[in-house]
Amino acid sequence: MSASATDDGLVSLAAREARGGRLSMAGLLIGPATIFVTIGLLLPILILFRYSLNDFKPGLLMVDTLTINQYVLFFTDPYYLAAFWRTLRVAVAVTVICVILSFPLAYKLARTQSRYKNLLIMLVVLPLFVGNAVRAAGWITAFGNKGFVNVTLQWLGLIDEPIRIMYTEFAVIVGIVAVNLPYVVLTLQSIIEGIDRSVEEAAYSLGADPLTMARRVLWPLALPGFAAGAIFCFILAMNAYATPVLLGGPQFVMMGPLVYVQFAVKSNWPFGASVSFVLMTATLLLTAAANLMVLRRYRN
Amino acid sequence: MAGLHLEHLSKHFGATVAVRDVTLRVGEGEFLVLLGPSGCGKTTTLRMIAGFIAPTTGRVHLGGREITALPPWRRNAGIVFQSYALFPHLTVAENVAFGLEMRKLAKDEIASRVSEALRLVRLGSLGERLPRQLSGGQQQRVALARALAIRPDVLLLDEPLSNLDAKLRETVRIEIRELQRQLGITTVMVTHDQEEALIMADRLVVMSDGEVKQVGTQRELYEHPADRFVAGFVGRSSFLPGTITGPGRFETKGGLAIACASGLTGPAVIALRPERLALGPSASGLDNHLQGTVELVSYLGASVDVHVRVSPADRIVVTQPNRIDSRTPEEGEKIAVGWPAGAAVVFPDDGSTARL
Repeated sequence: MSASATDDGLVSLAAREARGGRLSMAGLLIGPATIFVTIGLLLPILILFRYSLNDFKPGLLMVDTLTINQYVLFFTDPYYLAAFWRTLRVAVAVTVICVILSFPLAYKLARTQSRYKNLLIMLVVLPLFVGNAVRAAGWITAFGNKGFVNVTLQWLGLIDEPIRIMYTEFAVIVGIVAVNLPYVVLTLQSIIEGIDRSVEEAAYSLGADPLTMARRVLWPLALPGFAAGAIFCFILAMNAYATPVLLGGPQFVMMGPLVYVQFAVKSNWPFGASVSFVLMTATLLLTAAANLMVLRRYRN
Repeated sequence: MAGLHLEHLSKHFGATVAVRDVTLRVGEGEFLVLLGPSGCGKTTTLRMIAGFIAPTTGRVHLGGREITALPPWRRNAGIVFQSYALFPHLTVAENVAFGLEMRKLAKDEIASRVSEALRLVRLGSLGERLPRQLSGGQQQRVALARALAIRPDVLLLDEPLSNLDAKLRETVRIEIRELQRQLGITTVMVTHDQEEALIMADRLVVMSDGEVKQVGTQRELYEHPADRFVAGFVGRSSFLPGTITGPGRFETKGGLAIACASGLTGPAVIALRPERLALGPSASGLDNHLQGTVELVSYLGASVDVHVRVSPADRIVVTQPNRIDSRTPEEGEKIAVGWPAGAAVVFPDDGSTARL
């Protein structure tokens, strides 16, 4: 008994040594990323949070203290609250539109037997090669009063006067959808590719028409991937900056640009910090809630 | 239950012809096996019966009704896929119930048919498990139960045993065969495994290059192969290429004179079944009697394969039953090989010789 215990001890020691070696190697590899995240992300966030509890006095700028004044200001001022709801509304709309538009494309991409598949995927990714600001500038030329859309509609005789598209919520939503679509398509495509095609055929052979098949088989199997794609899209939309500034104009205030204005234009660091925290917290809470909902659906 | 009739079925993919003019009748309750090497068109044929592929030309009739234009969900064909294709998010019972729900049956009717189907495949107690919690063999049986539960007009099996290990495959193929016979269900199976095909089929269809080479029972295919491909694919044969030099006279490329029973003329190939040949003393007095050298001996347990070189260009494989009193020849030994003229099958040499 004792002999075997010693043997076990030796074996586990050797195993631990081997594992230890592997662990230290792994530590070496993930070290830089960990240090970077700690110093470059967590620390500034902590400092930012501390700033958000300071006060702001015109002339003195940031005053060291411990108060929730900045948060109270945000949640009591209709202007800022409107910016918050507007951001949420745009992000939700963008996410819904992206998921609906992405699905057929992602499905086609995942299931195509074409030898040009890689080329098709490149075409989806291609828009990402153009920066957000440049792309928004492109939309400006399309959406202006003398832009492509208005000129075409007038030429077709559908409208007499140019309609206002620039500086509307519609323009901003279209702009962000265009930015986010490739991400969602690629996420969904990889998920659908992981679903065995013969599972769909099995459903057909058992009497399910394509809609029923999609609802009873494809959708439940793709749901986790859908959630990942949607959450990714939502986070990007909540934090959009260039698109709302360029296509929404000065009146259309969203949270991302608001943070920038408080820090860089008004030098109001405490308020900028608290706006950042409201944005971050709302994004995290909604993401977590969506995740929970999906998990519960998936278990049942 | 219903018979299946394929009428001049063809499928072209661009310039390639996957299936060429296949006409088959599967009787009610018959077990038909499509046998052939990969790429021979057997799976494409099965998928046209299932409705996953539209034929370029030709028609499919099931139970006297033409179904060529019907989508798969309106055909009432039960399919067992090579990968089983179970719904991973549904339990075993839910998998089996899926097709019944599609048919909008009453709840208690579904419940009783699910448990009946699971009992048929001896999985009665596993209804609440998820597919990933089952072994490969159990998953295969769920797939079978799911296909049978809808009481299909035809059961289609796409290489259903290829993902099982060899030992399990032996028992499962007997089980499927017995179940099929007990239910009397018209069945078409696709396989590249000739042993599996021989064990399970009522009739076999040998396919190659998108065409049906021969249709027949095991005995018909083995005793009277239609061409050299079938002779090589169903069972084993040693092939001796050469020329028919006169009535009943054949000369191999290696220069051996052989007596055969054939009315052919010109270039031809002789096919010899290894177990129809006599070795050593028992070869004497037969129509053909060749001297050769043993080049290779394979000990297979129940039998021994002896490869005998009879001329620089010709080698013959002889299978000897491994009896208690039989002597196994040694490599390098001089030995006689013999057979009666009627034991060999002769095919015209159409140039396909080079392929095998």
